[in-house]
Amino acid sequence: MGVMLGALMLILGVVLFLLLPILRGEWAGMARSKGELTDAEARKRAALKALRDVEYDYHTGKLDDADYSDLKTALSRDALHAMKRADQAEQAESGEVASAHSGSAATTGDDDLEAEIERARAGLRAGRACGNCGELNVEGSRFCVTCGATLASEAAQA
Amino acid sequence: MTLLGEIALWVALPVALWGTVLSFVGGRQDRGDLVLSGERAVHAVFALLLVVSAGIIAAFLGDRFEYWYVASYSNRDLDTYYKISGLWAGQRGSLVFWALLLSLFSSITVFGNRFKNREFMPYVTGTLLAISSFFLIVLLFANVNPFERLDFLPADGQGLNPQLQNYWMTIHPPTLYLGFTAFTVPFAFAISALLTGRLDARWLVLTRRWILLSWFFLTNGIVFGMRWAYEELGWGGYWFWDPVENASLLPWLTATAFLHSIQIQENRGMLKVWNMGLVTLTFLLTVFATFLTRSGLIESVHTFAQELTIAVIFLTFMGLLTIICTVLIVWRWPLLKTENQIQSFVSRESAFLFNNLIFLGAAFTVLWGTLLPLITEGLMGEKIAVGPPFFNRVNIPIGLALLALMGIGPVIAWRRASTRNLRKNFLFPMLFGIGVFAAFAVAGSRQWMALTTFGLSAFVLAIVFVEFWKGTRARARIEGEGAARAFYHLVARNRRRWGGYIVHVGVVMIFTAFAGEAFDDEITQTVNPGDQILISSPFGHDYTLEYQGVSTTLRTGNMAWQAMAFLTVSKNGRPVGTMTSEKRMYFTWEAPVTEVGILSSPLEDLYVIFEDAEDLAGAVQNEAGSQQVTLEVQVNPLVGWIWYGGLIMTIGSLIAIWPSRGSIPATSVAHVEPEPAAAAV
Repeated sequence: MGVMLGALMLILGVVLFLLLPILRGEWAGMARSKGELTDAEARKRAALKALRDVEYDYHTGKLDDADYSDLKTALSRDALHAMKRADQAEQAESGEVASAHSGSAATTGDDDLEAEIERARAGLRAGRACGNCGELNVEGSRFCVTCGATLASEAAQA
Repeated sequence: MTLLGEIALWVALPVALWGTVLSFVGGRQDRGDLVLSGERAVHAVFALLLVVSAGIIAAFLGDRFEYWYVASYSNRDLDTYYKISGLWAGQRGSLVFWALLLSLFSSITVFGNRFKNREFMPYVTGTLLAISSFFLIVLLFANVNPFERLDFLPADGQGLNPQLQNYWMTIHPPTLYLGFTAFTVPFAFAISALLTGRLDARWLVLTRRWILLSWFFLTNGIVFGMRWAYEELGWGGYWFWDPVENASLLPWLTATAFLHSIQIQENRGMLKVWNMGLVTLTFLLTVFATFLTRSGLIESVHTFAQELTIAVIFLTFMGLLTIICTVLIVWRWPLLKTENQIQSFVSRESAFLFNNLIFLGAAFTVLWGTLLPLITEGLMGEKIAVGPPFFNRVNIPIGLALLALMGIGPVIAWRRASTRNLRKNFLFPMLFGIGVFAAFAVAGSRQWMALTTFGLSAFVLAIVFVEFWKGTRARARIEGEGAARAFYHLVARNRRRWGGYIVHVGVVMIFTAFAGEAFDDEITQTVNPGDQILISSPFGHDYTLEYQGVSTTLRTGNMAWQAMAFLTVSKNGRPVGTMTSEKRMYFTWEAPVTEVGILSSPLEDLYVIFEDAEDLAGAVQNEAGSQQVTLEVQVNPLVGWIWYGGLIMTIGSLIAIWPSRGSIPATSVAHVEPEPAAAAV
């Protein structure tokens, strides 16, 4: 008898647990939350990492000077392209209110982007490591691209 | 409790099916409420399976022999420890255990992603629950219900196979199952990526840690299994190429290939279709491994015919999965096209590609060798035995090629490597490898395969050492750090790379141990008390084992008797200890089983097997005239390196997986380094 009562409560509990969201109209989040990596950002990141790898290979003697400068030129071009795309995507997302955040979003000239590559890479070098998962993030990131943890507090501490 | 467990098993299936349908529908129609209900179903299934497992364990602890499963795998005298592990001792329980671990990982995934990666989650949840549903269907409808009752109440159970009453055997299956089930999470994300069309490298980044975790458990599970075989099966080996072992090796091979090829996708945007194929294949192989080991197929195709239901369900599921994944990949083909081409044959990309082809080649030969006997038995009624000679002949060259690539890969640059630099980087490691090879050859060894392994191992170790040394030096120079600090930061900044290299060191040790088998020595001798057995080690010393006699204990624990042969051991005339090897007769088992004696040292193991007694009945009665026994003594060089190598692989993979909370000091956050190379090192 006790077992039957237990089973009944088990079933009732499970059914309620499953149906409540639908009955009460509770919704799970469905869209990407702010700060999560977009396609364009992922590409930008990959391009920057590729630059980093080429430099590592060069400095540990795996690439010679000619190959290094060839690859570096090609990869910088890729990175520029990727960053342009990422900026455009960001502008498209924030719609008409493209607020000029730190001056980079509004300008898409090559010189500015060159500067931005340098800035981004300085950020990677500086190693804005996520306190949660350890991923290195580009300077100025507010959230970790891998785990989504907030990075802002770390910047404040520094 | 047990009855409640049985009810929970029946409740779990509709809950899982409900969650599967709602997750997919909710994802498709953008209905957050349905998705939330689906996610709750994941947690509910986990809770229900906990109740199911508790029910089974309660039945074991309460000696409820009216249940077929308990009566078959336990008895009153069994240690509590083994009663609890009865949950995964046999087919029925281990299917429950599989489902439990899967639902645990599903629950962790859903909980961990409740605020992020939301566009992936409905389909991830749906896929995870669909797979849970499959296992629940098997449990309920394939004549493998762990709660099936007997028509009568036996006075006692049949007991657990004594060979399974071993420490390693209680942790080996759960570790493997953890590996199998953890791989379901990357698979679910892959399906979700295909369905949502978000086919950039993001799903890989999100599941990277799961892939490593699964690999970590698979590796450990396989090593534990080898350890068990070595200690318990009593012939001095650790790997038989037996179908059960092969079944666990197959997903390991493809998962290892996958771990390497995802780096090409992350770095170069290439091999997207390949990676989708590999993740599907690996997942299918984990299911296949469960099917092979837990369906009775292995013993014989004919006895297996009696368990047709489970085979039909498993094969249908695997067939369906293959079709669904193929259709999805073909449908998304335009989104999976490669972003880059391999620029040069001599590049890290092509080294990784070779690595993948070799791993797949190994997986294919192992699969073929495992299935061939079953296929021939099914078709021609005659089993064609495929034994270790086939596997060794095919896999030794494959292993050597992998070993060589393990050295070459890290040193070749991405995209293209210039030959001049290659020469410079390879010179020292190559000379070192050749030197080791030559040293053994000069010392008189003619085991060429083993010597090649030693030479290549030395080559890989030198490469890894140089990588660490150069990296540390570069970082120390640029950052002005001390060597220890620079080394620590080097590893902490790119744990996957350096953890991977440490894993390689472990692999090298294991390969060296395999090669050491070529130098095994053994002797079988019939002895009376006072007789000596002489055996020499390839390391140049001699062992003398003096047989002291057999001592028997009657009626201890769940054993009718336990006969122990005693030996004193000396190395080059100097005493180093005693060894025992036993024959045991369990109350619940027909034949006596052997417990081997092992005396380990860092370089070799002395291994004694109590083969036979001239007059076993007399020996059991401790009669003075019945002490003549036959013993086999082996010297197994380097065998311990398998366990040490396994440990190093564990450490390396933990470094790669470990989240580095606070491991990088905050002061370095705002510090911009003067030299670009610092970014890399």
